[in-house]
Amino acid sequence: MAELTAVHEPSPFAVPSRKLGIWMFIVADAATFAALLFAYGYVRVANPDWTHPFAFWPSIANGIVMTVVLLTSSLTVIAAVLAAQAGRKAAALRWLGATMLLGTLFAALHLREWVSMLREGWRPFRNPLGGTPLVGATFFSVTGLHLLHVLVGVIVLAVIALGYRRGRFDAGHLETTGLYWHFVDLVWMFVFPLIYLLNMR
Amino acid sequence: MKRYVVVWLALLAIVAVEVVVTLAHPPTGLLLAGLLLLALIEAGLGLLYFMHLKYERRSFMWSVILAVVIAVVLMDHFWLDAFRLLHQRISAP
Repeated sequence: MAELTAVHEPSPFAVPSRKLGIWMFIVADAATFAALLFAYGYVRVANPDWTHPFAFWPSIANGIVMTVVLLTSSLTVIAAVLAAQAGRKAAALRWLGATMLLGTLFAALHLREWVSMLREGWRPFRNPLGGTPLVGATFFSVTGLHLLHVLVGVIVLAVIALGYRRGRFDAGHLETTGLYWHFVDLVWMFVFPLIYLLNMR
Repeated sequence: MKRYVVVWLALLAIVAVEVVVTLAHPPTGLLLAGLLLLALIEAGLGLLYFMHLKYERRSFMWSVILAVVIAVVLMDHFWLDAFRLLHQRISAP
């Protein structure tokens, strides 16, 4: 009986399969967010009675702080990956911890904004200012999906950090997780101007 | 690390420009165009430097970017209907 031998072809992109996998997820997820933002654009253009719910203080100011926090978390995750690649395990874990803290802070600020809006009477299908209820629907769906990504990211970072500390994961795992985290940050670069700034009173 | 700090500062500066431009209250269409342009620059910086696409093979970089661009372009077909609804005035019976 002939022996079966595995054939190893070089990757056409020179990218490890794990990294290629996360990039494929990012492409698909980018299309998902794009579809949501396009849907928001459609209903906004089609509704002349679109309301602008956000005052500079506190909503836009809160959004600016959230943006700075998320951008900074991208920098800390890069510091974690660089430290891991250099074999500095303790430093990598510290930077991962900082990233998780910043991610949690972002989520807390976001939830504070949500609570404030809910107290004002905003619901996914109710507009307390009297215009189209689609304002709330698009706001809660777009920011809700992004918030879900942040929370999932914090959990994944915690799992990866634990595995890295125990030696189960390496710098490559940190890099892959970092790519996801940067993507979440990148999506916010569109959500903040389109959902918050464009709807300022 | 220094390179990443410079990109981070550039991204923060773009966010500041976005806020300042919004506070100037330009016409909505102009504001949208400006904010989209700035967001695309931010996305480009994030993709190239933070996500290291600049250092990957060109074939990989363009495969990733083109996949998203094509998906976004294909979504553009319904704007005509959005503007049709905007200009449609149906009087109540």
